[in-house]
Amino acid sequence: MSESESEPIRVVIVDDHPSLRAGVKADLEGSGVATVVGEASDGGEAIEVVRQSMPDVVLMDLSMPTVQGVDAIKAIVEELPHVKILVLSASEAESNVLEAIKLGAAGYLLKTSTASELADGVTRVYAGDAVFTPSLAGLLLSEFRRTADVEPGEPGLTQRENEILRLVAKGYAYGEIAQELFISTKTVQNHVRNILTKLHLRSRYELMRYAIKRGLDHTG
Amino acid sequence: MEHDLLPEAEPGRRGLWLGILVYRCASFVLTVVLAAIVPLAEPGLTWLALGAVGIWIGVISWFRAWDRPVVRWIDLFISAGFLLVAPLLAEPGSLSEQPFLAAAYPLSTVLTWAAGAGLVPGLAVAGVLFVPLALSRPLNDLPYGELSAGEIAGVITMGVYYAFGAVTIGLFSATLERAARDLRLANEAAIGERERAARARERETMARTLHDSVLQSLALVHRRGRQLSTQPQVAGSEVAELVQVVEEEERALRALLQRQPEDAPEGALPLRTVLQAAAFGISGLTVTVSTVDPVWIRAGGAEEVSAAVRQALDNVVRHAQATGVTIFGERDGADISISVRDDGVGFDVDEASMAADGKLGITRSMRGRIEQVGGTMRIESEPGRGTEVEFRLPAAPDEVTKP
Repeated sequence: MSESESEPIRVVIVDDHPSLRAGVKADLEGSGVATVVGEASDGGEAIEVVRQSMPDVVLMDLSMPTVQGVDAIKAIVEELPHVKILVLSASEAESNVLEAIKLGAAGYLLKTSTASELADGVTRVYAGDAVFTPSLAGLLLSEFRRTADVEPGEPGLTQRENEILRLVAKGYAYGEIAQELFISTKTVQNHVRNILTKLHLRSRYELMRYAIKRGLDHTG
Repeated sequence: MEHDLLPEAEPGRRGLWLGILVYRCASFVLTVVLAAIVPLAEPGLTWLALGAVGIWIGVISWFRAWDRPVVRWIDLFISAGFLLVAPLLAEPGSLSEQPFLAAAYPLSTVLTWAAGAGLVPGLAVAGVLFVPLALSRPLNDLPYGELSAGEIAGVITMGVYYAFGAVTIGLFSATLERAARDLRLANEAAIGERERAARARERETMARTLHDSVLQSLALVHRRGRQLSTQPQVAGSEVAELVQVVEEEERALRALLQRQPEDAPEGALPLRTVLQAAAFGISGLTVTVSTVDPVWIRAGGAEEVSAAVRQALDNVVRHAQATGVTIFGERDGADISISVRDDGVGFDVDEASMAADGKLGITRSMRGRIEQVGGTMRIESEPGRGTEVEFRLPAAPDEVTKP
């Protein structure tokens, strides 16, 4: 946040409500850390806009008419893996938040986040960090526990990672976690990043297993 | 109006009634044949009596009225009367040659009672009919003193047949009834399943609608409202109030969106729903509910747990000066662990300072609630480092009950 002299982060906002886009844009540009280089009102348009404007970060709504957010995330992650995606969700209960994260989004924020939370989220995602809310940490914990007993060979959480995810789910900030566990904030961030990597690895395993199973079913 | 057996009764019971009717007709034919063989004292009256019984059989077959109590009672009187009248109409002493003349047909009455009214009434009717059956010998001028042991045994055997008939048909009828009930229950369950699926679909649609429209616009209004409230020319306080109302609305909707999973174990609720209910309506700070699903809580204790969590939240609002509170719930072995953690000012966790702050009463009350459901409570706090209240209670068994 002290890098006010550096180039602002280039952001694309994807949401089907123009006034929400306007609000987010005002908040982000008002904070001085980012500049909005494009807007889109659905997933299909988002892919086009991202191709053209090459942003650093995409703020992506999930429920939109026609092409959904998750489909756009999939396409962007495949085509332009260096573009970071931050999900903007209307509720914590949204069923496809986990799917979006598994597909490669780096985190999610509620649409009701304050201007500083938004700016902070964009900055952190741009820096390569994962933006976790307590609810998302809870979702990830259940995802890892659900699959833990399915395939023992797959990357599971280490005890430390599990501990950190639980603390995030309890509402601890990274700094507080660092204090609690007597490690540096940087180390906490690294752990969280690793957790996300493992999640992506897992979803790839899952896809593979699914493909193999389908292949076997077809030949059998 | 009419007790129509064919469409109403299940196939098994219809077969039973038809079997009894066949026996009734066959035994009647046998009686007619015997009446033609046996020398009769009163041939005219005999054929009149047999004709009456024949008409009775025709009537009840035609109207398919076999299952009505009034029909059973009339049938009982006819059979008892027939047992008493037949020995008088036949040549005296002829029953020792043809013991079935009077006794064969009344068994159909026993069977009808056992099928329609059950095992015990069937047995009772067998006992009742045994009286005129026993009387039929002396009435036919065959006093028991002059009967051979074999002939006496024949009468008793006939009574035993009546009893056997009642037991067999009574048990069979009960089995049929049970099968029919099972079938009915299975049908009801299937209908229930369909209804549940329909309800789930409906809920899904509702959730989607709410999410796509209401929640989105609320988020939007929320955002705009907050921006307006920062502008000096707008009455900021009013707008802030508006934002608070919207926030509350949003939380309520989120709680509504939480769908009850279809595979909830019997008598259990998702912990998430319970925690969300506890957080409902708390305003002035951000409340986040985070759970490691699935966690099931016993429905019986849900209210106490929700109330205890609510008290913890009220405490945060009143004392903590926090900006946010996170409720976290997870399954930990056989327990459920619920943590309510705020980012407020914290306090010293010792009796003296808690009593001085007036925190002891509410703490006891929370502890009381959670102990009522077999749980424990722990408070962790330090001045300047927020407060965490942790509840632990036994989890609901998580076997999923599926039919």
